[in-house]
Amino acid sequence: MSPSSIVIGRIALGQAHIIDVPQSIVQTPTTQSASVVKMSAKDSSAYGQAAGDTDFRKKYDLDEYAAKAKDREAAEKEERKARWEAKMAGKKYYKPMDGSETLTTARNATQDFRKLVGTTTLVPAGAGVGKRGRSAGFYCEACDLTFKDNLQYLEHTNSMQHMRNIGQSGEVHKATAEEVHARIELLWERLQEQKRDQVISLQERLAVRKEEDEKEREEKRRKRKEAEEKRKLAKEEAVKVKTEYGEDVRIEGEHDEDDMMAAMGFAGFGTTSKK
Amino acid sequence: MSKSEYHRADERRFLDERGSSGPLAPNGLNPATIMEKAVRERIVDSYFYKEQCFAVNEADIVDRVVEHVDFIGGVYGTVQKPTPFLCLAFKLLQLAPSDAIIDEYLSFGGEKFKYLRALALFYIRLTRQDKDVYTLLEPFLEDRRKLRRKGRAGTSLMYMDVFVDDLLTKDRVCSTSLWKMRKRDILEDLELLEPRVSPLGDIEDLLDEMDEVDGNGEVRNGDGNHTDGDDDGSSEGEVRSRRWRKSSADRLSPQGGDSMDIDGPDDRRRSSGERSP
Ligand SMILES: [Zn+2]
Repeated sequence: MSPSSIVIGRIALGQAHIIDVPQSIVQTPTTQSASVVKMSAKDSSAYGQAAGDTDFRKKYDLDEYAAKAKDREAAEKEERKARWEAKMAGKKYYKPMDGSETLTTARNATQDFRKLVGTTTLVPAGAGVGKRGRSAGFYCEACDLTFKDNLQYLEHTNSMQHMRNIGQSGEVHKATAEEVHARIELLWERLQEQKRDQVISLQERLAVRKEEDEKEREEKRRKRKEAEEKRKLAKEEAVKVKTEYGEDVRIEGEHDEDDMMAAMGFAGFGTTSKK
Repeated sequence: MSKSEYHRADERRFLDERGSSGPLAPNGLNPATIMEKAVRERIVDSYFYKEQCFAVNEADIVDRVVEHVDFIGGVYGTVQKPTPFLCLAFKLLQLAPSDAIIDEYLSFGGEKFKYLRALALFYIRLTRQDKDVYTLLEPFLEDRRKLRRKGRAGTSLMYMDVFVDDLLTKDRVCSTSLWKMRKRDILEDLELLEPRVSPLGDIEDLLDEMDEVDGNGEVRNGDGNHTDGDDDGSSEGEVRSRRWRKSSADRLSPQGGDSMDIDGPDDRRRSSGERSP
């Protein structure tokens, strides 16, 4: 346990109840005065608390709360004073650093900021009053401010005020030549990988394309054959019909009546039929 | 400002330190004022700078070049927009990378990423002493890779060696006035610089080798087979250039021509010769 860890809890039945919270996660200056109790490993469970202990509710301690409130008040008073002093000196006040800040790092190129924010967007007038709070536009969670467009938002995220609110110092690690070398290597490798992937996907695309082309050709061939077949069939049919009529084969039943009449001695209607 | 472990994420302090308090570049110039005020303001106001140059360190510079730089240039277009190349050069002025890091940019990184080399070359020309500018830049007169360049007149084709030549001979490149260096021969006279040795090797060895190759009893006098080129003088560079017409050495032949004209590869190569030998 590092000395910067804080401990909330109290001693009960000779057991230490420890909640180990790194300071970088929870900022509670009022608890820094709380006693730090070392915990022996055998008492601990995976949750940092002795197994079977149901005593945790006793953490709510009125005295402790009163002390905390007092500390907080003192801190706020301190801050007001510092703000005022900064203002008198014509400077901008920033929350003082306490050593827990992380270094500021460059935006991750792979996590493109522009995609996150989108293009410049105008918000209808009167959608929000001032910047404070959440309203239409680009909202900064850490500072509870809303900005009209991505440029203002971007400028804000570069500001000292914002960096302090997200616990960054505004300082950037200086790279060594070795780190620069390693970065070049990394980026080069990544590029080669992308190229390999591109080649693979290109080959895949080509293969798919080839298959599709083949199918298309097959289909065309089939259609052509079908059409040819049809034409051929139609031609044959036509020839057949002609020859059939040539032999004077009548379609069955078509001339039956005439035939019958002829057989019975009539030559037709309307000549000698009326007797 | 003493040597700190950290950079500031933004440029405010860097620009505030113009005047006397800030650390000077090796050539004695104040890095905050090497670029002109109007150009600096355009850079600092640009979206690219605010987004991609904030909190960037020497290693992140490589990321940014690989990701965003595919042409060189200063400010361009009607609104005089600064190129990512220029913005990153400005960031380098703020970061003041060490010689070891610059070497990574130039050599190891420069082989892989040509615009990283171009950026380093430009930065060296702005900040290093003249003798170092010559020794660091000249080897890259052998780099024939193509570069794109954006300027007032739009996009044009460029070559690394021509860019190096511009940096060594012109007084304005990429919207930035280049400080006046002493001529190469003056530095040679002062024994601050060795005469330039071609990467092809020692000139005497080369000539001996050539004689052997030409051999067969026929002794060539250096310009027999080549009729192009001006026939003036016979410095070592001259002789070599005639013998190695197709090689890189021919750039030493003192032929005139505006290095900005890009007519074809051969013309281009010869055009960059007007430089102190
Ligand atoms: Zn914020």
